[in-house]
Amino acid sequence: MSRVIKSNGFTNETLGWDAWLDVVDVETASPEQIAVLEESHPQAKVSDYYLFLIHQPEILRQRSAAFNAIMYAPGGMPRAERELGATVVSRINGCVYCASVHAQRYTQLAKQDEVIEQVFQDPHTAGTTPRERAITKFSIDITERPAEISAMDIQALKDAGLNDADVLDLVHSDAIFAWANRLMLNLGEPVFPAE
Amino acid sequence: MPTQTSNTYDPANDLVDRLVGLTPGSKTYETRHQRAKVAAATQGSYDTLFASELPGLTLIERLLVALYASRLTPSAELAAHYREQLAAAGAELSLIELVDHGEPSNAPTSRLAAVLTFTRKLIEKPVEGDRAALSTLPQAGLTTPEVVTLSQLIAFLSYQVRLVAGLKAMKALEESV
Repeated sequence: MSRVIKSNGFTNETLGWDAWLDVVDVETASPEQIAVLEESHPQAKVSDYYLFLIHQPEILRQRSAAFNAIMYAPGGMPRAERELGATVVSRINGCVYCASVHAQRYTQLAKQDEVIEQVFQDPHTAGTTPRERAITKFSIDITERPAEISAMDIQALKDAGLNDADVLDLVHSDAIFAWANRLMLNLGEPVFPAE
Repeated sequence: MPTQTSNTYDPANDLVDRLVGLTPGSKTYETRHQRAKVAAATQGSYDTLFASELPGLTLIERLLVALYASRLTPSAELAAHYREQLAAAGAELSLIELVDHGEPSNAPTSRLAAVLTFTRKLIEKPVEGDRAALSTLPQAGLTTPEVVTLSQLIAFLSYQVRLVAGLKAMKALEESV
């Protein structure tokens, strides 16, 4: 990890996360719960987030299948750009934990972090290239005003160089963070590293 | 009405395609189904969240949350769909009216009032959904697995509405050229 970026309460440091209600004890979890934890995330069995969601294993199984297919599948929009969409949506929704994780992933994939600093400072003007600015603007618009998204918004993405597969991947990445943010933000809280 | 949570995905019965009006052969349909796993998990999430046998929140409670969320976002397509599903599930007309036009404070039970108030907060201002907001649910008698179902449901609806909106716009552009 490169430099630490902190702005407006957001950070790219590694944070913890604590659930506000009771989590499932992995020692007494059912075989189905263990199987879903294992297919959800490599660290799921020691994560409060997954141990809370595993109260309803079939819902978590489907959520993880959607999330992993959207964020990690090969082809289509470069994964760094999916992470940029995720970071912008998290910044707009105010999910400090999600923003920290996906800012780090963006930087690992893109080998740069200038746009992350801009997104933390002011997402409405963020983007170091026309393509990044188009991705950022669309991610804000679909987050804040989904009912108003129109053909013109898609045309703006195409004008910035995105093809149909890229546009679909961006819609998916932005939409899945409408989902992810509402779990991380509303079921527990980030734990910050000791100063 | 989905009645089972099977893992088999049938593209011919895809809800998002039906709501957006995507059919095989159109560019937007073909683009969407290149990401087959996403389409399958989206439909699978819907089928799971609205399965009649899902323990905890009743199907009618889940559909009331869905209609209320669709009204607030707003999404005409999704509101129409969930209104239809509520009628098919035999929901009382007064409850459908409540989520379609009324306020959570007018709900007939404190449980439904708490569920709808939490829904509104997460749909409109998720950043305000803090520990105190979450604690209103156990206080209204919801078990922890019910809280998980409700939260996943609201979060899924936030995803579904944006997916439908994005695909609708892609289709509109495709048809304009």
